[in-house]
Amino acid sequence: MISRKDFLKQASALAAGSFVPMYAGSNLMNGFAGKRLTVLYTNDTHARLDPFPDNARRFAGLGGIARRASLVKKVRAQESNVLLLDGGDVFQGTPWFDVYGGKVDLELMTGMNYDAMVVGNHEFDRGLDGFAEAAQKAGFPILASNYLTRNTPVNPYIQRQIVKEFDGFRVGIFGIGIQFDGIVERKLHGNVSSHDPITVARRGVESLREYHRCDYVICLSHLGFQYQNGRTDDITLAGSVAGIDMIIGGHTHTFLDEPVFIENPSGKKTIVTQMGHSGIRVGRLDLDISGLNGNPVIESRYYLIDGESTSLRGQQQTNP
Amino acid sequence: MFRTLTGFAIFILLASGCSLFRPAIPEESPALHYPEPDSAIVQMLDTYRPGMERLMGRSIATVRDTIGFDQPEGALGNLVADALRYRAAHETRGFVHVGIIGESSFNLIFEPGVLTLGHIYEFMPYENHLVVLTMDGEKVQELMDQVASLGGAPVSGVRFNIDEENRARGILVNSEVIDPNRDYLVATTSWAANGGDVFPALWEATGRMDLDVSVRQIFTDYFRGQAELVDFRDGRIR
Repeated sequence: MISRKDFLKQASALAAGSFVPMYAGSNLMNGFAGKRLTVLYTNDTHARLDPFPDNARRFAGLGGIARRASLVKKVRAQESNVLLLDGGDVFQGTPWFDVYGGKVDLELMTGMNYDAMVVGNHEFDRGLDGFAEAAQKAGFPILASNYLTRNTPVNPYIQRQIVKEFDGFRVGIFGIGIQFDGIVERKLHGNVSSHDPITVARRGVESLREYHRCDYVICLSHLGFQYQNGRTDDITLAGSVAGIDMIIGGHTHTFLDEPVFIENPSGKKTIVTQMGHSGIRVGRLDLDISGLNGNPVIESRYYLIDGESTSLRGQQQTNP
Repeated sequence: MFRTLTGFAIFILLASGCSLFRPAIPEESPALHYPEPDSAIVQMLDTYRPGMERLMGRSIATVRDTIGFDQPEGALGNLVADALRYRAAHETRGFVHVGIIGESSFNLIFEPGVLTLGHIYEFMPYENHLVVLTMDGEKVQELMDQVASLGGAPVSGVRFNIDEENRARGILVNSEVIDPNRDYLVATTSWAANGGDVFPALWEATGRMDLDVSVRQIFTDYFRGQAELVDFRDGRIR
């Protein structure tokens, strides 16, 4: 039986999280008036297939892929146009990875109908052969447009971009992985090379918008949210490349309660978001063209996967 | 039940007008709760559990007390810092003066009962290796000031007090007053030495040895060698 206090908390949570018009006026044009796109997203799930154990120093009892799957199933039942995306670093972090090397994660993500993920730096933790072996279990695209994979074992499993066709509109999705310098050892990434995220992103957007005629463009990025040291991050990417509507990030394990909006070179806004780590939260962004002045209304919320927890802000970053 | 309450919540929301339509509540997460696991995913995951148990269920040690990373000094912090220093001495066949590791790398506290290999891998999920740094006494003093400014951290081979200005005072390295002009060997992890963690003094070491020993293996071996893991503190940071 739920207590009155808990009920009121849930009621106010629904109010706060469900219908917040975040922003009107992205790159999206009026091509699918009345249509709705729901984007569910995770990042840095780090092999957290079971919830955090009771003796965890942080997040005890939170997370778990089976609970996440239940939520996703529910949203898919309610909405007709749903994307489920991941910002990378599915591998490493619990004994599940030590025993199975990421195969179980990718198989279960396939079972949940993930639409795409980007390659994170930890996907290289077992070298290219280990990555390729696990990737065989992925029944969905693994993206990284700035990684050159030719003549390597991972080449068959990594794509630059995909186009998802919905009822009357097209969404282009491309991946940007972190640059290897100082992050992924040469012996692990082998002959895969990483290239400048901004240059590659510009080419990707041009291809998706001009050639593939996409109405909406999403970048799955594992660059990290923001740095002070000059390394390219999601904020820099958003401000440097026109034509990206949304960046779903990873790597820095950043818990953003709400997305941020960065003005890009075309004068429009790019949404940048990231959802912490370990599947503690699932993010959700709804685009509804029937909102203000015919422009898309962005509704933002996130789901805490089984939480009695209070604020998760300000958690220390560890070994990203 | 939840569905009924949710419907009522939406009714309240609609009846209350737009004043409720505000961004996130600062202290309470604006979240919805979905605790019911999906049975198909549970089933898929369960098919892999026996293999997991076979490899990770092996008993490594017995934990007698609940032990964690307290400040200024905690039993689990003492264990991991001692493990690094002793193993570094063993590997280098010499004396290693100091052990240090940031507690942010660790995910668990230990509770009484059997400690399995899986617990250790969950406890320390990162594939870091052992590094031995050469630092002069002045840098070691700076390093301990950084430890003191945090209110304490896992260290081994040193003793000191934290003064009112959160600085390390009266530092003894292996029972001798620290000498700013001599070199000391400091055992730590590759993550800390490479610029991770919160001890910038480590990044200015004058010498470095990378040893091909996994930090998780060090903990596994060290815990296995203990009769019992207990809440042991010796006042190394006061």
